[in-house]
Amino acid sequence: MLTVTVNGVEREAPQGGRNLLSYLRFDLGLTGTKYGCGEGLCGACTVLVDGQPFRSCMTTVGAVAGGAVTTIEGVAVGDTLESLHPVQRAFVEEQAMQCGYCIPGFVMSTIGLLNREPHPSAGQVREALAEHMCRCGTYQRIERAVERAARGDA
Amino acid sequence: MSLKIVGDVQVGFPQLRTGYGAQTYGNTQPQTERATWIALDADGGITAYAGKVEYGQNIRTGLAIEVADELRVPIEAVTVVLGDTDRVPWDMGTFGSQSTARVGWQLRKAAATAREVLLTLAADRLDLPVAELEASAGRVASKSDGSRALTYADLLRGQEIEREIAADPPVTPASEFTVMGRAHKQRIDGIDRVTGRAKYSQDVLPEGVLYAVIIRPPAYGGRAKRVDLSAAERVPGVARVVEDGDLIAVLGEDDEAAALGARVAQVEWEIPAGQPSRFDLPALLVSSGQEPFVMQERGDLAEGFRGASLVLEATYFIPFIAPVPMEPRAAVAQWEGGHLTVWAGTQRPFGLRQELASIFGIEESQVRVIAPEIGGGFGAKSPYGLAHDAARLAKIAGRPVRVAFTRYEEMMWSNFRPAAIVEIKSGSTSDGRLVAWESVAYHSGDRVMIGRRGSETPYDPPHVKSTVYRSDSPIPSGSYRSLGAAVNHFAREVHMDELAAAAGLDPVEVRLRNLSEPRFRRVLEATAEAFGWSGPRMANGHGAGIALGIDVGSYVATAAEVSVQEKEVRVHRVAAALDCGLVVNPEGAANQMEGSIVMGLGGALFEASDFQDGRLLNSTFARYRVPRIVDAPRIDVRFVGDDTTPSTGAGEPGIVPIAAAVSGAVYGATGQRHRELPIQRYL
Repeated sequence: MLTVTVNGVEREAPQGGRNLLSYLRFDLGLTGTKYGCGEGLCGACTVLVDGQPFRSCMTTVGAVAGGAVTTIEGVAVGDTLESLHPVQRAFVEEQAMQCGYCIPGFVMSTIGLLNREPHPSAGQVREALAEHMCRCGTYQRIERAVERAARGDA
Repeated sequence: MSLKIVGDVQVGFPQLRTGYGAQTYGNTQPQTERATWIALDADGGITAYAGKVEYGQNIRTGLAIEVADELRVPIEAVTVVLGDTDRVPWDMGTFGSQSTARVGWQLRKAAATAREVLLTLAADRLDLPVAELEASAGRVASKSDGSRALTYADLLRGQEIEREIAADPPVTPASEFTVMGRAHKQRIDGIDRVTGRAKYSQDVLPEGVLYAVIIRPPAYGGRAKRVDLSAAERVPGVARVVEDGDLIAVLGEDDEAAALGARVAQVEWEIPAGQPSRFDLPALLVSSGQEPFVMQERGDLAEGFRGASLVLEATYFIPFIAPVPMEPRAAVAQWEGGHLTVWAGTQRPFGLRQELASIFGIEESQVRVIAPEIGGGFGAKSPYGLAHDAARLAKIAGRPVRVAFTRYEEMMWSNFRPAAIVEIKSGSTSDGRLVAWESVAYHSGDRVMIGRRGSETPYDPPHVKSTVYRSDSPIPSGSYRSLGAAVNHFAREVHMDELAAAAGLDPVEVRLRNLSEPRFRRVLEATAEAFGWSGPRMANGHGAGIALGIDVGSYVATAAEVSVQEKEVRVHRVAAALDCGLVVNPEGAANQMEGSIVMGLGGALFEASDFQDGRLLNSTFARYRVPRIVDAPRIDVRFVGDDTTPSTGAGEPGIVPIAAAVSGAVYGATGQRHRELPIQRYL
């Protein structure tokens, strides 16, 4: 039996071939990670694997076996603004969202970016988020939110 | 123990009863004429109900702001319930930027009525005249002695009151707003959206749900000739297969079993031959034009052109583009006896309820449609046939059924923004004053209102005729943010730039010479000032463009700065001014403007849906480019309306002038005029 750690809980995954996004959403009920395109091009399905952004729609449970998967549900410690992850708080404070469907993916990639590079340049921010789509077009606000989180001002 | 404010549901009809909404969906009628709009319960909780849905416009916050201001409470005290046919007032649909303009106003009147009831109750309890009382911070207090006060909960204890919305309630004047028009740091549903708690139709998973994959033809108009589902049925995890008339589906205990079953199903298709391709489109639009409708006519064109010293004629082409909401459609249906519940990301929950009742021959009271959070729609999610399929499959299976589009299906089976050809002939004096304007537009699709929107010129030529035809649509077309307005504005505003160039005038100057409406002049001048307008050719080698327009009653202008390198246009910054009257939620309205501009850049620069033999050629994100963060300019939005003017729409106007502004900017940078979209295809 394969084991995979999801949001700190070690789980036994029934089938290594199961699509990771389907496993998270339908088997574990962690629906905060979204389906957007199924081909790794829109970023809505982004989770962290061992702290780095990963497109869950393009991979299997078996491929991340033994690793630690973090979904958007595993990022905040509570329900209040104060208990959110600073990146989440920055998105709320900049109103960097409209419909919000893409936002969990942007948040996860931003956390991954700041894990790698705590003080990214504007170019690094754009590069890290270039393969995410927000059809509502809130990019200017998303950039401001990432800057705010990087400044430690959230 | 409560106070309910009830009122009629007429505001759920779009304001222009002869317009697109009424024409397309006007067969949807309310089952009840009255509904509860606001309820205060005994512990002071305030709930506002609206038949609109939330698909990113941020109306949940906007409506809460309006109610909070009228009831003198903080925004967080107000809960807004949307989009559930069992709970909210009837509404035709969330389109045409009507939420703030119509429903917000209704809720303000309802809240003002509630405040009057509370004041009257307090007058009785405190033995003071109403004139000596004021409502503030969730209490009614004596104006002279603040210690004599009762909370709303105190006032309502033991009461059971229902009141009609007053005909002319004392709504708060703009000068006394404390919540409306102020900057709010957060939206009331912001935390749910960054934590993954917000539930979309894709996320609804009732106990025992089956995952369905519907097998659809590979091309438009395709019909199944021979269907063999035996291999699909044998796939482990497939619960059953369905062939019910035109509905062919595989139902699985999990999503991957259903998908595998659909992949191994054997279906032979009959595809109609001779379907047009994208290369046939411009000619098809003109040759199939029918039902000409004169949108605007004054003076005598022949006389006008006789008096013109400068005559320009040009043709503009706008292809189909895809709406591409980030959330592909999903629908979940559950039958309990003869009662049907459907969760669907539809912009028209009440319309869908009526359709479902009609399909199954049951009363509308036996159908509940719940529109949860919707991951974008932009007009495209008004038709929602996927929910019909889910309900049919759930009935057949005897279990809840979930159907969700893949991205490919969402691209293929949604509606595209109609393609169009617009022919414009203008006559002017040598100093750039229009004397004659003739415009003939051909928009694809059978919903004629789409092409008519925005087809009147806002300029002042004495002799005008503007005609709109509807033409055949080789692929499904339907509503899209601003309908045809963005298309019509592109043609007209590029033409104004051509007039400027021909007359040797600045694009701002030529527009001002032909505009008498002060609201147009104001947005144009404000945009030029915010942008630092100095003409199309900028000193740094970049180009600048500017355009104006009107949509959903709001006046808008936009300027853009671009640079062009080979086949790529880079938009560096955009400045825009909007006059939408009273701005209830400035941060929300600015967000909508920014989003409209970014969305419009896609259609201006690189989006076009290509098709051949009934097949969509660019149905994935690998082949269909939409704007990304690297494409997004810096955007500066200003509101220049008057807060005593009633609110008009803010969600759609931003997309209306942007393509022409970009075309003008590319001209400034390259000297090349772009009359066809998307511009990058023609560089």
